[in-house]
Amino acid sequence: MAEAYAVQAEGLERQFKGGIRAVDGVDLAVARGEVYGFLGPNGAGKSTTVRMLATLLRPTGGRALVAGYDVVKDAPAVRRAIGVALQDAAIDPYMTGRELLHLQAVLHGFARKLGRERAVELLERVGLTDAADRRVGTYSGGMRRRLDLALALVHEPEVMFLDEPTTGLDPISRLTLWDEVRRLNRESGTTVFLTTQYLEEADQLAGRVGIIDGGRIVAEGTPAELKAQVGEPTLQVALARAEDEEAATAALRPLGEPLPARAGTLALRLPGGAAALPGAVRALDEAGVEVAGLDLALPTLDDVFVAKTGRSLEAEGAEEQPAPAPSPA
Amino acid sequence: MTLALRQTGALARRSVTGTLRTPQALVPALFFPLVLMAIFTASFGNAPGNIPGFPPVRGFLDFALAGAIVQGILIGGTSAGAAFALDIEGGFFDRLVASPVSRMAILFGRLGGGVTLAMAQTVLFVTVGVVFGARVEGGVAGVLILLLLAALMAVAVSGLGIILALRTGSAEAVQGTFPLFFVLLFFSSAFFPRETMTGWFRVVADVNPISYLVEAMRDLVIVGIDPRPTLIGLGVVLALATASVAACWWAFRRRLAATA
Repeated sequence: MAEAYAVQAEGLERQFKGGIRAVDGVDLAVARGEVYGFLGPNGAGKSTTVRMLATLLRPTGGRALVAGYDVVKDAPAVRRAIGVALQDAAIDPYMTGRELLHLQAVLHGFARKLGRERAVELLERVGLTDAADRRVGTYSGGMRRRLDLALALVHEPEVMFLDEPTTGLDPISRLTLWDEVRRLNRESGTTVFLTTQYLEEADQLAGRVGIIDGGRIVAEGTPAELKAQVGEPTLQVALARAEDEEAATAALRPLGEPLPARAGTLALRLPGGAAALPGAVRALDEAGVEVAGLDLALPTLDDVFVAKTGRSLEAEGAEEQPAPAPSPA
Repeated sequence: MTLALRQTGALARRSVTGTLRTPQALVPALFFPLVLMAIFTASFGNAPGNIPGFPPVRGFLDFALAGAIVQGILIGGTSAGAAFALDIEGGFFDRLVASPVSRMAILFGRLGGGVTLAMAQTVLFVTVGVVFGARVEGGVAGVLILLLLAALMAVAVSGLGIILALRTGSAEAVQGTFPLFFVLLFFSSAFFPRETMTGWFRVVADVNPISYLVEAMRDLVIVGIDPRPTLIGLGVVLALATASVAACWWAFRRRLAATA
């Protein structure tokens, strides 16, 4: 086994009773120190994959190594190497943040004093020092997720699994958590394997993204690579005078293939991207076209998702917007 | 091994803390048995000596104490099971299973918490009884034996609650079995002596293991240390506790195998 990989899987499969294949032959090779994002809609098999990698669910086919250990044969070794923050932060409402961190430290074999120090350090790190002695039931959704992250960090794991770490969080809490994940990866070199249904999250956080749908990985690569696969930037021009349409179309033709657009606007593929923008502006100017607005749209990961599955992740996500953060109990 | 013990202790402490901070778990376990004991004592204060078959006893409170203790342990066992089910529902169980925590500690932590609470509760009930005029004829030794019986019964009952939690994974389902525990209690000699019962009710109480446990405890209060009922009660509860722990372990392995 190549030690360079933090997570490796070959033909990983999980079939549930009734024959449903939640995960249907997933291959993974996540290098040490990488932030890998598993992007897909609800029910795509993200959580099932993570549960198998975290030794919580036995694969029904294929195999997986985490930190170099087989998740079935060497489950105890895997458990020592990983930190896990699963969906729906599993936290006792009636314990305080500090108590939970102490407990976690004892469970990991820290001596009492060391456990206390570690708790102080981690509370500070995730910005919960002031809330340390309050019961978790009074925490906001974002605070719970940060505590959950701290709990998973107690033993300084090599590989961190985060299952939908920001689902249900408000935008600010989401940004705070992103920063925390980035820092974890940067400062401790921890490999992060995260699942998400948010395009932006995968785009912002992950060095490499695997798009999963129907239990299979349908595309994989860096966000830039994936976007480059599906298409080129498109330029939209809003015209100040509708009668300029013909002149504008002619002026822009040499720059890229025209696309259908609303009346009074023009759209075209712009393979040159932002670099081709000055040329486009000059051409319009020379043709005497008055421009009301210009918009350069880059392909998104959703375009990748549409190209690979024929469905839009954003549209699916819209129906199932995350519930607001749980109110304090 | 020492680490496994530390882990068990830490998890037991957590489950005790959790119960103490959850009034809806704590109040029924304390409130119901004490209220029922007070009502029975007020209602049947004249029963001893006037009802044929009623054992000689200083007062009804002395008689009722053991029933209250057993009732408290039954309620506590349901709470332990429900709390374990909440851990499964909420994901705390998953977090433990995905960590290198000893599998034994996951189970025995919760069981140990249940036993600790049951013993504290028993001490409290005996104290309340004594404050209101009951007398434990068995003395200090009697109280210690009573505590041993209570602890073993807590193992059996909490174990049963945990089995339900492991099999259903639902706190609601565990709570739903609560009335069954009560039926078991009422169809025993927990509140009245078997000597005053008739017909099929008597037959049910005769085969109900809770009768023997209550009678062992009650004898320590109203008679003193008498080896025969004590040993019978101890034998019954030891068998129940052993069976319960074995079944618990089986249900636990089964759950882990089904998932991990």
